[in-house]
Amino acid sequence: MSDLRVSIGGFFVLVGAIVSATGLIADYRAPLDFANVDLYCGVSMLIFGAVMLWLAWRKAR
Amino acid sequence: MRLAPVDYLILSLYFAFVLCIGWIVKRKVTTSSDFLTSGRSVPVWITSLAFIAANLGAQEVIGMCASGAKYGIMTAHFYWIGAVPAMLFVGVFMMPFYYGSRARSVPEYLKLRFDEKTRVLNAVTFAVMTVFSSGISMYALGLLFQLVLHWSFTASVLLSAAIVLVYTFLGGLTSAIYNEVLQFFLIVLGFAPLAIFVVMKTGGWSGMASRLPAVMTHTWAYTAKASENPMGVEVFGLVAGLGFVLSFGYWCTDFLVVQRAMAAESMSAARRTPLIAAFPKMLMPFIVIVPGVAALALSHMALGYSIPLKADGGPDYDQTLTTLMAQFYPSGMLGLGLTALMASFMSGMAGNVTAFNTVWTYDLYQGHIRKHAPDSHYLWVGRVTTIVGVALSVATAYMASHFNNIMDFLQLVFGFVNAPLFATFLLGMFWKRATGHGAFAGLLAGTAAAAATHGLTLAENKGGWLGATLHTFPSSMAQNFWIAIFAWSTCFLVTVVVSLMSAPKAESALHNLVYGLTDIPHEDVPWYKRPAPVALIVVAALAVLNVVFW
Repeated sequence: MSDLRVSIGGFFVLVGAIVSATGLIADYRAPLDFANVDLYCGVSMLIFGAVMLWLAWRKAR
Repeated sequence: MRLAPVDYLILSLYFAFVLCIGWIVKRKVTTSSDFLTSGRSVPVWITSLAFIAANLGAQEVIGMCASGAKYGIMTAHFYWIGAVPAMLFVGVFMMPFYYGSRARSVPEYLKLRFDEKTRVLNAVTFAVMTVFSSGISMYALGLLFQLVLHWSFTASVLLSAAIVLVYTFLGGLTSAIYNEVLQFFLIVLGFAPLAIFVVMKTGGWSGMASRLPAVMTHTWAYTAKASENPMGVEVFGLVAGLGFVLSFGYWCTDFLVVQRAMAAESMSAARRTPLIAAFPKMLMPFIVIVPGVAALALSHMALGYSIPLKADGGPDYDQTLTTLMAQFYPSGMLGLGLTALMASFMSGMAGNVTAFNTVWTYDLYQGHIRKHAPDSHYLWVGRVTTIVGVALSVATAYMASHFNNIMDFLQLVFGFVNAPLFATFLLGMFWKRATGHGAFAGLLAGTAAAAATHGLTLAENKGGWLGATLHTFPSSMAQNFWIAIFAWSTCFLVTVVVSLMSAPKAESALHNLVYGLTDIPHEDVPWYKRPAPVALIVVAALAVLNVVFW
């Protein structure tokens, strides 16, 4: 069911982009952080979402 | 905890997304079977993830993190010994009967295999329990968001209930399953980074272990005697009580999880659902338990972090997860973490409501109130039941906020009802001589035995209400394990004895319901799609994990 992969992939690409942009622009820090958490996690979600979209696209082809 | 606009943006995106899923799925729902059983057409990767996500409610995530801080990595027993073997058993041995009987629900299987009274007993207790758990889940959601974000209890309960209502009303089980898959990924992507950051902060795994007593980082090494570990359980109670009775009772008979596998597109997919689900299940402790263990180590470092305290001065372990989020997640990831929690509360509710729907519509309404109506009527009943189910859950949530004692009491009673169930299914599926009278008498006797065990023993001042105290357990967890062992054994014995005294069911009526009278279709699939090889790989992986964390 490529439908669900598209929806989930799309969701995480969007959220990943928002979170990594927050990391780049605002660079918020929580009390015990030792890195730019938003940037690392945002990029990971972006990659995960892209892989889901790629899987759906490969299946549909 | 203060949220920035970006956190609210992520939360609203999630709400918009689940409503869209409901709206997209709605177009595919035309019959009662589409609505209540997903038309048995869901691909296996989706049913597998939904199978574990249905159990991964927010209380579970918060509770496992709390237990990690309280009991250490031993908590992983709830996933390893306490889930995976039962998941293998239901996939390899039981699914052929559930799926092959064409029953639409677990109570319906009991009717086909035994008789109407056994089905009604199971259907009614299950229906009441689902409404109850969904209400408890909403109550916990309201409390959490009130405590952490100062949102109004009523606003969070009503908003989440309204969203769940809309998407389950539109798409039924399919919509609930799709949202469980999204919830699974949100939990993994939202909490795995937290686990990694906290462990890194304590100096990696070895740094963390060096700051804790050895018992906190071992699973089996301290289980020979109950007094040696913080759980207060010994190896027999652990393996027989948790690993066998409680875990098989839940994973093999609870319709909420079994329903996910029964929605699969083929017998082979239904059997592989729990087997494939076992892989992520085995790894969940690293995401949900390890942050709790690491939090304890963190509180021993001079970083200003400590486990929050309750009003009476004792540690409030339930707040471990949210305080860790506040320490490690900046706005952005904080929004995602809260969205993951919100998603698990909501899908917990949706899962219960959809299971309640199916049991009410097929087992109670169609079975007893209106038998031969056209299918469109049952689709309508299913939709109306969704509204009723959500309304009852909201009422239960408010009841929980006013009468905490009633809730504790009900939870205890449900525990007694559930404890013997697995004996009934085991005998029903593997012993063709078991009869309806036997099953019914066994279930009642098992429930009574559970209540009697609780009434005659004491643990942490709980139980002992029958006057005499025959035994005192070191912890209420040990007491629960032993209640389950006694309930199961009693149900097993009584079912066997009463079955032998009552007239057997004709073999012709047991086709596809009992081992030995069921043709398991030979499917021409490659080895990695057959249940036995997949199960063996799971066993090997499980053994490795247990040895590494011995």
